[in-house]
Amino acid sequence: MMTHELRSTLLRIDGVRAAYDDHVVLDRIDAEIKDVVRPGVTQGQVVAILGPSGCGKTTLFRILAGLAAPAAGRVLLGERLEPVRAGMVGVVHQQYPLFEHRRVLANLLVRSSDEPRARDLLARFGLAERAHAWPSELSGGERQRVAILQQLMCGHTYLLMDEPFSGLDPLNKAKACELIAELALLDEEQTIIVVTHDIREAVKIADTLWLLGRAPGASASTIVASYNLIERELAWSPGIEHTPQFAALVREIEARFGAL
Amino acid sequence: MRSLLLAFTPNRSVSPATRIALVGATLGVVLCVWLVLAPAAIPRPADVARALATLWTEQNLFEHLLTSLWLNVRAIAWSTAITLALAYVSVLPAMRPFVDALSKLRFTGMVGWGFVLTLLARDGHQLKLWMLVFGMVPFFVTAMAAVVAAIPRERFDHARTLGLSEVRVVWEVVVRGTLDEALETTRHNAAMGWMMLAMVEGIVRAEGGLGALMQNEHKHLHLDAVFALIAVVLAVGVAQDLALRWLRRTLCPYAETSS
Repeated sequence: MMTHELRSTLLRIDGVRAAYDDHVVLDRIDAEIKDVVRPGVTQGQVVAILGPSGCGKTTLFRILAGLAAPAAGRVLLGERLEPVRAGMVGVVHQQYPLFEHRRVLANLLVRSSDEPRARDLLARFGLAERAHAWPSELSGGERQRVAILQQLMCGHTYLLMDEPFSGLDPLNKAKACELIAELALLDEEQTIIVVTHDIREAVKIADTLWLLGRAPGASASTIVASYNLIERELAWSPGIEHTPQFAALVREIEARFGAL
Repeated sequence: MRSLLLAFTPNRSVSPATRIALVGATLGVVLCVWLVLAPAAIPRPADVARALATLWTEQNLFEHLLTSLWLNVRAIAWSTAITLALAYVSVLPAMRPFVDALSKLRFTGMVGWGFVLTLLARDGHQLKLWMLVFGMVPFFVTAMAAVVAAIPRERFDHARTLGLSEVRVVWEVVVRGTLDEALETTRHNAAMGWMMLAMVEGIVRAEGGLGALMQNEHKHLHLDAVFALIAVVLAVGVAQDLALRWLRRTLCPYAETSS
């Protein structure tokens, strides 16, 4: 097994329940993300929340971001495990919203005045030439990167990404995977939570997978399975998608997905 | 020929040259209809041109034009300021009923309200100004409140997740984020001032203006002069529209870009 150690808890979900009027969407969501420490590597955490359409992914996403309060339970994060509130977690929405009236560099400086760092990040993620472009002039991939960098500039170590592979062609999906892997290497506590229904990409980038859905006979969704990809030796390995273990896990998840 | 055929094919775009040709052809058709089919009582283009020259040389058309232009520019400025302030405060739930009620005033005419405004105004110019503002604001407010209400929740969420304060969220998302649409709404609604001008300047004629001049000529059935004045209002209105479009392009160049 890969050498690693699990240390402090970075995020804890305690008995979260969400309901719209009388309709319970999510129930008894309990999970935890711990700081994964690899000797000699600055390694953040990547958790993928997988689930079929309509299973409450967006609701859980909003709760994790502090944008909506759960009907019961709580989400705690940080060193002191504080209750989450808007602004504590960086959020990259599916449409990659940016301030359209600000150029790319100004979008990154919306809450920070550290221009050298903003320029450094733009250069690191291949956007140096686009610093003075308007958001409407960016391609989908560029927009995604700017949206992520904007959150990083706000000092967020927790990053929540909504369907980052949605609508991307295979080449851009691969680029998005590389980007997430690179983001995870920025900081030891960098914690990236990806909400998606793309099984292959989720297995490719994550060290932990949570499968969200309604168990047979249940009326609300919960985390029906959790996969530790480090123990399965599927995490942090470029080219892992070409191995039989990867294909086997994808098939296993697909089978469970179909039953939800 | 192929380009011309494209002009009659749904959802096709045409070349600039074809567009110019189409505008020319439309003007030609309008002119032909005017010359050939209009009743005899309607003045012909030459009559209108002669009347325009007379208005210019004998009735101080230029001064009347400046009077109307100044009145309209002030009315647009006031209406825009009031509208934007109201649209932006509509993010406060407590203000929404007031903004909604003001928006409903567009169903009421000026009759009755004109009397109230007469009591409130200091002089004729102020009365005309407030009548125009009162006439324009409910339409402006309706359009701008709709723009604010249509801002997707994701934009607010996005600003909040960046850790911006709620005041800063309103500034970035509502005020600066809709500036291009505010200017576009102003452009569309500014035409209303010219539409109401004849009525307003007809009520208070002391200062003159194109509306007062139009009412005078209409009273004496000088239709050629009335048509000449309509043409002047049309030209000034189009110029105003172009100026506001230029202002939008200058202040919000991002609104003109696309990926």
